[in-house]
Amino acid sequence: MARNMMAYPELRHPFEPTPLHPEGARTVLYQGRTIQFDNVGSGVGLLVSPADLTRLNGFELKPQGACLGELCIPLSDTVLKQQAGVTWIDLEAFATLLEQPFVADREAGVWSFGEIPQKRARTLVDAQAPEFEVTDRAGKVFRLADLKGKKALIVTWSSW
Amino acid sequence: MDVPVWQRIYEQIDDPNFVLISAAQDTGGEAVAGPIFDAAGATYVQVVDEDHVISQAFHFVNVPSAAWIDENGSIVRVDEGTYAKTHVISAGDQSFTFGTDEYAPAVLDWIANGAHSRYVQSAETVAGNLRPLSADEQRADAAFRLANLFRAHGQAGKAEHYWDMAQALNPESINYFRQNLTLSEEGSAGESFRARREAYLREGKDYYRPLDIGAR
Repeated sequence: MARNMMAYPELRHPFEPTPLHPEGARTVLYQGRTIQFDNVGSGVGLLVSPADLTRLNGFELKPQGACLGELCIPLSDTVLKQQAGVTWIDLEAFATLLEQPFVADREAGVWSFGEIPQKRARTLVDAQAPEFEVTDRAGKVFRLADLKGKKALIVTWSSW
Repeated sequence: MDVPVWQRIYEQIDDPNFVLISAAQDTGGEAVAGPIFDAAGATYVQVVDEDHVISQAFHFVNVPSAAWIDENGSIVRVDEGTYAKTHVISAGDQSFTFGTDEYAPAVLDWIANGAHSRYVQSAETVAGNLRPLSADEQRADAAFRLANLFRAHGQAGKAEHYWDMAQALNPESINYFRQNLTLSEEGSAGESFRARREAYLREGKDYYRPLDIGAR
């Protein structure tokens, strides 16, 4: 049978099995980035350090809560967890508090987060471009911030 | 088919303060998208966006779609059928036409005139043109990325599970629908695609949001 147009069945699963991350680590997908957390709290959910929270989404832990610029979200002990004197942020509970959609594969230790509604509101109300990160074919990373001071046309297409 | 056309437009603009990011929404990766960029001799920013990150960020559900971002990081035009020209495809004694010659001149006008271009839209219009995303549709995007991560690590079962989840959570996404068909024997332009397109036409749904190029 003649091969159909724009059909690449051989590319559906071309990769050999490899570990997602080292034993005990977790992987988080957010805004086009793939982030590995090596240091996580124990138990159900995804417990990360305050520094890793900032690394992920810019929120900083302050006395009044988790803050991003002017916005501060008070945190209860559903989100803030203490284990042996160490403070962790439960990212699932934080996402639930923010009404941030996510899909988790806890068995594999991977969490994929949608946009934080408070960030999305800037786009939906003020037409401020959303944060994103892509890597070009030469390996150079482009983020929204890299486009400042320039006009940018972002166009999608596909081979299909 | 637009990839070389955008290259000519990019060369024509020739402005160091203009960035063109062309993002192939192709989970098949460099193997399928790379040769098309290379054949066009592309010198603009070329991204093989296996996870459809750009479509997710700007709420696109089909290709081609585009966003204009000004010097201050504001979107000034977004999400419409953004072909760079009218294309004619001939097959035997039949031919069909798609695309538009209206969009590229609007881009040129914007680059030349900036905020004064009549094609620049207000924040209110742009916000209205961004598709609202339900929680399920956002979870669809999260699931699609998860699927691709598992695919990249050779875990076919989980990849299939989350691809299915993405389509179930966002059945209106042409991108997810056709991307899935592309990685199958049937291909992205086979029977399933034709049936889907005919259903859209029958129901009067927009395959793309129509260009509203004159309005301001």
